[in-house]
Amino acid sequence: MSGYDEERLAELIAALPPPPEAWVRAAQELPHAKATMDDIVARATADAEYRQQVIADLESALALAGFEPRARLVDELRARLRES
Amino acid sequence: MAQLQLSDAELVARCRRGDPDAWRQLVERFSRYVYAIAVQAYRLSEPDAEDVFQEVFSRVYERLDQLRSDSAIRPWIGQLTRRICVDKLRERSAVELPEEEVELAEADEKLDGVEQAWLVHELLAGLSDPCREILDRFFARDESYRTIGEALELPSGTIASRISRCLATLRRRWDDEEGRIKAPPASSGQIR
Repeated sequence: MSGYDEERLAELIAALPPPPEAWVRAAQELPHAKATMDDIVARATADAEYRQQVIADLESALALAGFEPRARLVDELRARLRES
Repeated sequence: MAQLQLSDAELVARCRRGDPDAWRQLVERFSRYVYAIAVQAYRLSEPDAEDVFQEVFSRVYERLDQLRSDSAIRPWIGQLTRRICVDKLRERSAVELPEEEVELAEADEKLDGVEQAWLVHELLAGLSDPCREILDRFFARDESYRTIGEALELPSGTIASRISRCLATLRRRWDDEEGRIKAPPASSGQIR
């Protein structure tokens, strides 16, 4: 660990580049996304017609709730609806 | 990089209380660490690294209450990331080639580098805003003098000398901290 010169420090700064902004944003939105999915699943459990609509078009359900329908969110919503 | 004023433990405590701003800060604080483990240590492709990245933060969010010590958040995130990366490699090697052992041995070496980079990253966070910005933009974000000059409203002809001065400052800080800072072992996690 000792004896680092400026060149080595520069290499170590470069070793932690930022990930793509979209990844960070998606992770930061997780609490909101999970709460929104809770709402969608609760409503779908109480309303069979709504459930059919959501299952038929999961992407639109997420988009309507204000989320970019990324594959991960779509898969999670599908799984949660299946479990509900 | 500009939001490192709260300690890890304070940040975790606020996240537990449902503070959305704290969660955003937590993701921001550890995003580079998770990314570096996935991409540099385990050499995952960008799509696989993105899966790992989102899975790590999803598990952190869901299991934050299980963390035994709030200050141990980084080793815990490191352990989670490594496990999920290994799972991803196993998933891949089941359908591709059985090179997993070689890849994991290489990953151990690279993980040490990520841990050292994290220490420098923490030290960098303690520098003045202009120094932190200019070093991060040039080395970590790979921005040109021109881009940096425009973003920070500095003449591009002064960027090189500023980088040099800021690196020298960082080196002095490093030397001051030497002996006090020791890299934690890469495998020191808490729970899965």
